[in-house]
Amino acid sequence: MNIKKTLKDFWYGKPHSAEEGGRRLGDIMEDKTGLYKHREWRGVPDTMYYFYNIWLYNYIHMVMDIMQMGGLVNFVKGVLRYRWVGQTYLPVMHWFDRGLQGMRGAALRGSAWHYRGMVSTTIRQFQRMFAADTRLHGGVQNDVYKHTIASNETVWGGMFYPWSDKFMYVPMEMIPYFVTCHVNSHTVLNYIDAVQSIGLPGDPCPMCQAEAGIFVLDDVPDYAPMVVTCNEACDASVSTSTLQDWFFDKPLYSLPMPMQFDDPLVKKYCMREIENCWKFIEDQTGVPFNWDQMVKKLEAQNELQRFEWEKWEVAANTNSYPINGVAQALYRIYQTQYGDWEIWHFCDKKVRKIMEKCVAKKINTFPQTRHRVIAWSCAPLYYSNWCTWAYNCWGLNVIINMDSLMFNMTMRTDTYEHALEDCAQYHMWAPMRRMAVGGMKHMFELWEYMEKFNCDMVAMYDQLQCKGVQGLHGLFEDEFRDRNVHAFWIPHALPDSRTVSRAEIRRLINDYMSTVMHEEPLDPSLLDFDDSMTW
Amino acid sequence: MSKFAKFLFKLCGIVLVLNVALFAVFFFDLDGKLLFNVVEPFLKNHYDNMERRDTLQTPYDMDKFPKYDYNT
Repeated sequence: MNIKKTLKDFWYGKPHSAEEGGRRLGDIMEDKTGLYKHREWRGVPDTMYYFYNIWLYNYIHMVMDIMQMGGLVNFVKGVLRYRWVGQTYLPVMHWFDRGLQGMRGAALRGSAWHYRGMVSTTIRQFQRMFAADTRLHGGVQNDVYKHTIASNETVWGGMFYPWSDKFMYVPMEMIPYFVTCHVNSHTVLNYIDAVQSIGLPGDPCPMCQAEAGIFVLDDVPDYAPMVVTCNEACDASVSTSTLQDWFFDKPLYSLPMPMQFDDPLVKKYCMREIENCWKFIEDQTGVPFNWDQMVKKLEAQNELQRFEWEKWEVAANTNSYPINGVAQALYRIYQTQYGDWEIWHFCDKKVRKIMEKCVAKKINTFPQTRHRVIAWSCAPLYYSNWCTWAYNCWGLNVIINMDSLMFNMTMRTDTYEHALEDCAQYHMWAPMRRMAVGGMKHMFELWEYMEKFNCDMVAMYDQLQCKGVQGLHGLFEDEFRDRNVHAFWIPHALPDSRTVSRAEIRRLINDYMSTVMHEEPLDPSLLDFDDSMTW
Repeated sequence: MSKFAKFLFKLCGIVLVLNVALFAVFFFDLDGKLLFNVVEPFLKNHYDNMERRDTLQTPYDMDKFPKYDYNT
C-alpha cells in the first residue's frame, strides 16, 4: 500500500483519468436505481464544501424558502394533493448530485449556485400556487388568488412586469411539467399517458402532450382568475391551449408567437398583440399599466443579461469558466423565460466572485477537457445532465448551448415604443422558436457561435417528435461533412425517457468517440451502466 | 470546571455528534435511499388511488367569456 498516494487521494480526491489511477465514478452507483452506495469522495476540501455549502445549505434554505413563501401548511397540503410536487421535488438533492458529479473546485462551486437559483424560483412558484389554490382552501378565492396571473410557460415573464409590484405571474406548466422532467423523469409519464388515454395520438411533441395531460388528470391548482396563453414554439401547442382553455375555464387571452419573426410587418403585428394583451390584463385586474415598474424590471433584467455576456466572454476565450454544461443550460433558460427575480441577482453575484478569481488566477476549471463542445437544438429534459457524464467519461466539455443563446439582447427603456419593440422581439424569439424552428438562417447560427466560443465539436440534439427539426436533419449532416465538423447526434423525445433511454444516448456517444474519434475513455467505469430506474 | 465551561463542552459534543450523523446521512446517500424506497412509493400509491374529478365532464362553453378583441 502506497501511504503517500493514499493520503494524497484522501486529501485531494482520486485523479480523474484511468491513466492516473482513476476515480471510477461508475462504481459508486447502485445498479438500476442510480442511488449511491456512497456519495463521491472529492477530497477533503471539496467533499466538505459539498456537504456543508451545497447539500446542507440547500436543504436548510429549501425549508426556509417554504416557510417564507406560503408556509409549511400550504406545502404539506400541496404535496398531498399534487403528484408533480410530491413525486418530483422531494428528491431534489439527487438532481444536484447528477448534475455536479465529478466536479471539483470552482466548477463545483459555480455550478451549484446556479442550481440554488433554480430551486428557490421553483419553490417560489409552487408555494404561490398552493397559497392561492381554491382547492386547498375550501373553494375560497383569497387575496393571493386575486393577485396572481396564470400564463403559459413560454409566455415570457416580462409581459407582466408592469403589474409585478402588485401581482405575481406563475406559469401553469413550468413547475408541474418542465422542471419535473429534469428532477424526476418518471413523473411526467403519468401526464403523457393521460392525454393519450383520452384519444389523442402519441406522435405529436410530448411536451404539448404532457402540458395538456396535467389538466386531463386534474393536477393543476386553481390559483388565478385569468390566464394568458400562446401557441408556444410550434402549432402542436395550439391544441394544448385548446384543452387548457376547456379545463382551466377562465378568461383567457391568447398571445400569438409569430413564426416568420424576421418580417418587420410581423413584428408590428406582434407589438399590437402585446398591447392587446396588456389591455386584457388591465381589464381583468382593474390596475393600469405601470410604466415605471416596467422600466425598473427591464433594467434589472438587462443587468442579468450583461453579466451573462461577461460569462460568455470568459467561456469563449479562456479555460477558466466555472460553470458546467447542464448548469449553464438550465439556469439560463429558466432565468430568461421566467424573467427578473431577486435570487438570480444573488446567485450571479456569487458566481461573479468565483469566476473573477478563476480568471485572475488562470485556473483551468475543466482540466480534462479534450473537446470544446457546443450543444445545438433542444435537449433531452430527462437527461439534461448528459454533459456532466460526457465530461467525466470522455472529456467532452459542453461550453455553450442553443438555449443559452436564444435571448441574446437587452431591452431599451428610453421610450415606450422602443421597449414595446424589444418586448416583441424577445417574445418572438420564444424558447425553441428562434434557432430550432425559426428557419434555416437561425438554425445555422450554429456555425457563427461555434467559432465565437472556440468549439471543435457539436452535440446535435434530435427531438424525434419535433416535426420542425426533423426536416433539417439531412441539411445538418451535409453541412457537417462540408465543413469537416465533428458532430454526434443525440436522439430523444424531450420529456419522454421511454423512447430513447439514457443508456442509449450514452451508447451513441461512446460509439462516436471510439469508432470515429478513436479515443479512449477517461473513466471506463462510466461507459456502460444501468440507470434505467433512476430519477 | 465552571457551569459555563460544562455547558460549552456539552454544546460542542452535541454539535459534533450532529455533524457526524448528518455527514453519515450525506455520505451514504441515506436521504436518497429513504426517498426512493419509502417516501416515493408511499406517495405514488397515494396519488394513484386519489379520487379525481373527471375533467372531460367539464362543459366547453365557447361563449362563456367575451372575445377580448381590442383596437390598440
